[in-house]
Amino acid sequence: MKLPLKWLKEYVDFNVSIDRFVELMMWRGFEIAGVEPEMPITNTVVGRITAISKHPNADKLQICSLDIGESEKLTIVTGASNIFEGALVPVALDGAQLMDGIVIHPTNMRGVHSAGMLCSGKELGLTEEDYPGAEVYGILILQGDHPLGQPIQEAVGMDDVVFDIELTPNRADCASIIGICREAAAALGQKFREPVIRDIQGAGDASEYAAVDVLAPDLCPRYVARVVTDIKIAPSPRWMQKKLRAVGLRPINNIVDITNYVMVEYGHPMHAFDLSCVADGHIVVRKAQPGEKVVTLDSKERATTPDMLLIADPTKGVGIAGVMGGENSEITENTKVVLFEAAVFKGSSIRHTTRELHHVTDAAARFIKGVEPVNAMLASQRAIELVDELGAGRVVGKAIDVCNVDTADRVVSADIAHVNRILNTKFTGAEMAAMLDTINIPARVEGDALKITVPHYRVDIESSIETDWDIAEEVGRIYGYDNIPPTLMRGDTFRGRLSLACSQEDKIKDICVLLGSYEMYNYNFIGPGDLNALRLPEGDEKRLAVKLLNPFGEDQSLMRTTLLPGMLKSVALNCNRKTGQGRFFEVGNVHVDNNPDLAEERRMLGFAFTGEGEDFFTLKGAIEILMERLGLDEEFSVAPGGGEYFQPGQKAVLYLQGEAVGEMGTIHPDTQKAYGIPQKCYIAEIAMEKLMERFPRTRTYHALPKYPVVPRDIAVVVDESVTAEQVRKAIEQAPVKVILENVALFDVYRGKGIPEGKKSMAYSYTLRAEDRTLTDGDISGAMDALVKSLSARLGAELRA
Amino acid sequence: MLESLEKIRQETLARLKAAQDGAELDEINVSILGRNGTLTGILRSMGKLSKEERAALGQAANAVKKELEGELAKRKTEVGEKMQALRFQKEALDVTEPGKPGRLPGRLHPMTQTYREIRDALIGMGFTTFEGPEVEYDDYNFTKLNLPLDHPARDMQDTFYVNDRVVLRTHTSPCEARALLNVEPPFRLIMPGRVFRVDEVDASHSPVFMQIEGFVVDRDITLADLKGILLTFIHTVFGEEVRMRFRPSYFPFTEPSAEVDISCTLCGGKGCRACKGTGWLEILGCGVSNPHIIENCGLDPKEWKGVAFGVGVDRITSLKHGITDIRLEYENDARFLKQF
Repeated sequence: MKLPLKWLKEYVDFNVSIDRFVELMMWRGFEIAGVEPEMPITNTVVGRITAISKHPNADKLQICSLDIGESEKLTIVTGASNIFEGALVPVALDGAQLMDGIVIHPTNMRGVHSAGMLCSGKELGLTEEDYPGAEVYGILILQGDHPLGQPIQEAVGMDDVVFDIELTPNRADCASIIGICREAAAALGQKFREPVIRDIQGAGDASEYAAVDVLAPDLCPRYVARVVTDIKIAPSPRWMQKKLRAVGLRPINNIVDITNYVMVEYGHPMHAFDLSCVADGHIVVRKAQPGEKVVTLDSKERATTPDMLLIADPTKGVGIAGVMGGENSEITENTKVVLFEAAVFKGSSIRHTTRELHHVTDAAARFIKGVEPVNAMLASQRAIELVDELGAGRVVGKAIDVCNVDTADRVVSADIAHVNRILNTKFTGAEMAAMLDTINIPARVEGDALKITVPHYRVDIESSIETDWDIAEEVGRIYGYDNIPPTLMRGDTFRGRLSLACSQEDKIKDICVLLGSYEMYNYNFIGPGDLNALRLPEGDEKRLAVKLLNPFGEDQSLMRTTLLPGMLKSVALNCNRKTGQGRFFEVGNVHVDNNPDLAEERRMLGFAFTGEGEDFFTLKGAIEILMERLGLDEEFSVAPGGGEYFQPGQKAVLYLQGEAVGEMGTIHPDTQKAYGIPQKCYIAEIAMEKLMERFPRTRTYHALPKYPVVPRDIAVVVDESVTAEQVRKAIEQAPVKVILENVALFDVYRGKGIPEGKKSMAYSYTLRAEDRTLTDGDISGAMDALVKSLSARLGAELRA
Repeated sequence: MLESLEKIRQETLARLKAAQDGAELDEINVSILGRNGTLTGILRSMGKLSKEERAALGQAANAVKKELEGELAKRKTEVGEKMQALRFQKEALDVTEPGKPGRLPGRLHPMTQTYREIRDALIGMGFTTFEGPEVEYDDYNFTKLNLPLDHPARDMQDTFYVNDRVVLRTHTSPCEARALLNVEPPFRLIMPGRVFRVDEVDASHSPVFMQIEGFVVDRDITLADLKGILLTFIHTVFGEEVRMRFRPSYFPFTEPSAEVDISCTLCGGKGCRACKGTGWLEILGCGVSNPHIIENCGLDPKEWKGVAFGVGVDRITSLKHGITDIRLEYENDARFLKQF
């Protein structure tokens, strides 16, 4: 919403600084996002050329002596030829900022010092409409007399400032000069000089010229039509053009400008039809027929659908209601009779129409935000007043008013004590009424209630369960939120805490950090290309992605079913930028569209390890430590297996007590290539819920060994096909008579001394007893048992 | 004998004085005072002497021995200290050389850090965490929150749709509906999570971002209490010196509604680039729950009052760390992640 200060001053005494006004409006709920000078030029003043002489060193330059009302005259060199002695011209002084950010400084021009610059209209950003002669080639010659040294803005009458006000959607009434000035007056503590529309007593009755039938009264609660004959199409007066331009509208002709002016002033969109183009002068407000097309004012043919509202005559559509008029009934130079439309169209209907047509106009936006029937009548009256004032035609007296809605004043009731309860205040009803009076809302106290007569334009104040809150908002806003002291919550006390899931997630993330990994945040969006890059087979659960109806593009059209694509993209980015390598993790939701209702949401933990020093087993080691820290190490195991995005033979499924909880592996070279990753990448993905449902685990204390622990090693030669897991189990489960613990693989050897197809695996372990120091016999007995177990179960031989 | 004793004494004292290291002193100890040392030799040879001579010489020899032992100990200390000083000098480090990091832990994403900070401030006020789904019913995201189908405010936020009933939640507020329907009041909840808007990515917009919603439902919770909660929260997260501005605004979910600004954390309110010269930074929207929401979820709004506020974690993170481009927060450039 643009509000020119000069326009505001027509209704309100303005006696504060601009900054103060911005602050006062802010406290009323009106954020002023910008304060723009009408002419954004600095340090440029009116000067008189007192003498002109030729430049000694340049044929095309002249040296001017300028009087800007100071004791010293200025010398300025110019190349323009339209200047003369005695002319009043704009003088840009040292530091002046002109259009397009040009800054002026004193300079030496071919040996002559020039203190500034004489400006053209263009350099000041002026057009012929702004100031006559502004587009003449050369220096702008000012007309009339002006004090020397006067700021150029004042001299050309462009010294206004325009406020750019951000309106909240509940205050559609303030999307009008009248509405916002009413609030501004209250913010300034000044009286609002409400304009009174002159009643134009014309002869006749509009119904002699036109008829209006509203066939869809639910979508068009009111339609007011005024007729003007003997139209004289002409440009609108300069004052009107200037105001329209100030709010960003382009003047067209007197009739169109009147409709736009009223829209800005009263906030109500209007339309003017050339009545001679409306068959029988008969306006029919109806839904479009199947396949009906309307060519709108912008010369575009628009295909309508039967749920759109049209303005038609008995033969054809003449406009799309609330959006844009038809080209066939447009105001032209030859228009003689005009029908002004001021109607109320239902916002949701207009909203639907604009969506279907992919076209929003200023008028449509206003209908969508909501207009009201009383204002429709006011707007039509104001338009007629302006027609009369501009001498644009002969006003036909009586309006056509098809009104299917109650326009009587609404009275709502607010519970005074309850309003105070919402705000934590102690106002009396009379105090509240006095506050409401400052924004022209009449209220009186009736027992415990405040009876409020709601002005027609305050459609946001309802008679509903919301009324007390509506009034609390107004009272709070007028009193000032800042004046309500903050309090501490009373009532029950609460045990503040993290939910179990949150604290578990914290713990898991903290462990991931300790493992050296950096946390990633990736977007949830993936595309079908990602599913293919992951080599997912048809029917894979990860292909059941939630699909968006309105994505940015196909590559972002699905919700991720796995963290892999995001992590791989981030790894690729880091590789491309050569940011070094490292460990990353992410905790985030994936969605599996396996449910007709809401998609299943799963929280996943992902790891991505890449670069120097990282391999399958550094990743596995990290996962083992994670499990150990969570107290799940004894339940944790892996077995070969996992998705197609991993390299065969380098992938594993992760289990907790035999239940699959995730997978890990080396990314398949094809997948790696698809994401443009130049190096090996090791990824794991684990279902957070599966971890969480198993912990917190409370560890039970194990008594410390009382007797010495004996460390021993054993190296065995086995077939290549024997796994480390099998060997470990054969050792752990050997029938030894003492306690055997801490079995760990420390070396795998192939090559010299080991037959082809075999490998040597070396394990360390410890032995002890609960009740005594081990004897040599105990130790050799245990060793024998191990060898027997390994030999019997795996055909292992002790390495020589 | 006495002469040779004196000679040994003189020579040894001289040698002790001249000795430069522990090895030399040890050698003197062995050669003079040791089992086969010269002084020991004198003492041993005393057997041949008369009783008187023996007594006199013994006394003298013991005095010399004691003296030399004392001197030796003294010199040992002196030489030891000197040697150590020399060693220290040799081993002196350039302490300005960079430290060795060893195996480093990683880092939590700055947004996680901010989230925890905000969350912990609220937990101190008796709040509990409560989560809802990212893919959400339109009904919870809009309709129950006083945004019926044709409400113009639905245009305020462009929504990703899954179908006509399901959306990607555009805010964490659907958790309010879920809480009202499932949690016995009174309650104080923190509702964190990712939210989605149809915003093209640029330096200040992201289609995915993180919000934390605070929601209190109690019999007598007021706008003044909301101010109190937010002031405490702001002081905890941004510091006691930060000022709060609580100004009227509009949201369909709350009435009265407010937007909250804090005095600029970079310039202290004088005006700078971060606050666009205003001295204030907008950090959240809030208000007293609209009675329609309470009623839509089956409670009597005259009995149960709510206050709610929604904070953008991305925005607070950017403000706290001076991050000027929100895209960095979802790009995962290691050089970025390592800074926090």
